[in-house]
Amino acid sequence: MPDFECRLKKYRQMKDLTQEQLAVQAGVRRETIMRLEKAQYNPSLKLAVDISRIVGVPIEEIFIFK
Amino acid sequence: MKKNNKKRIIFLGVFCLLLIIASFLYTAVFNDARFIAPMDMSEYVFRLKDLPVIISGILFTLYILYIFALLVKAVIINRHKETEAQYTRILNPRFGYCGLFGLFGFLGFWTYSVDKTVFPFVFFMFFGFFGFFYKGKMSNTFIDERYKENKIKAQITADEIAFSIIFIATLFLGQGSLMGNMEYTLIAFVISVALSIALKMFLGMYLLYHYDNDCIDGQCNESGE
Repeated sequence: MPDFECRLKKYRQMKDLTQEQLAVQAGVRRETIMRLEKAQYNPSLKLAVDISRIVGVPIEEIFIFK
Repeated sequence: MKKNNKKRIIFLGVFCLLLIIASFLYTAVFNDARFIAPMDMSEYVFRLKDLPVIISGILFTLYILYIFALLVKAVIINRHKETEAQYTRILNPRFGYCGLFGLFGFLGFWTYSVDKTVFPFVFFMFFGFFGFFYKGKMSNTFIDERYKENKIKAQITADEIAFSIIFIATLFLGQGSLMGNMEYTLIAFVISVALSIALKMFLGMYLLYHYDNDCIDGQCNESGE
């Protein structure tokens, strides 16, 4: 069960990015982005910061820990 | 490996081989076939005519040590390259069939009954090579943080299981002799350790594949857009 909510998909689509494009920019695999969006992977602080910079949204808006 | 290095290794190998052949011919013709025919080394007395065989033997040993040193160096360099690599090694899943070599372990039962040799039981370790089926499927995968995390998780789980089995086997077999025979106990221990190592090798690769490729809500590596 995910212990956090991930709104990455929403912000990624707002930026008009595909999972593949986001993965390349963040330096990870597309499967990692896929799992992040399903809140099935808890990213490192570096990856979270990289993603927030790419989509241009603060980390706490993307990853909401309950 | 550079072409010049290969040439040097081959040249030295051929030179050592020719030297050994020449020295053995010499000792066979001029030195009563000493070192060729069986001799009691405890009563050995040095003769000047022994020198060619001794020198060729020393040179051949040095050559073997040189090859071994090159091999160790190559392994260390490859390990270093692997840690810096961004993608996993390209490996054909068919290497998994090497796991069938594990069946040679059963030869141990035959060799033990013939001349009490237990060494072939170690071949059970080769069953671990079945894991190459999964490692091959992960060929040329981009190594990102999730891959590294999964790899560590898989290795820890595999180690825990393998060491638990070894611990239980040691505890159980260490209680006393199996079926009243100490040799059977040691054979059972060798088999347990060999199979545990095989399991560790297999699980390390299988679990990594499993963790990395598990389907999410029935979706397996599709776009998910």
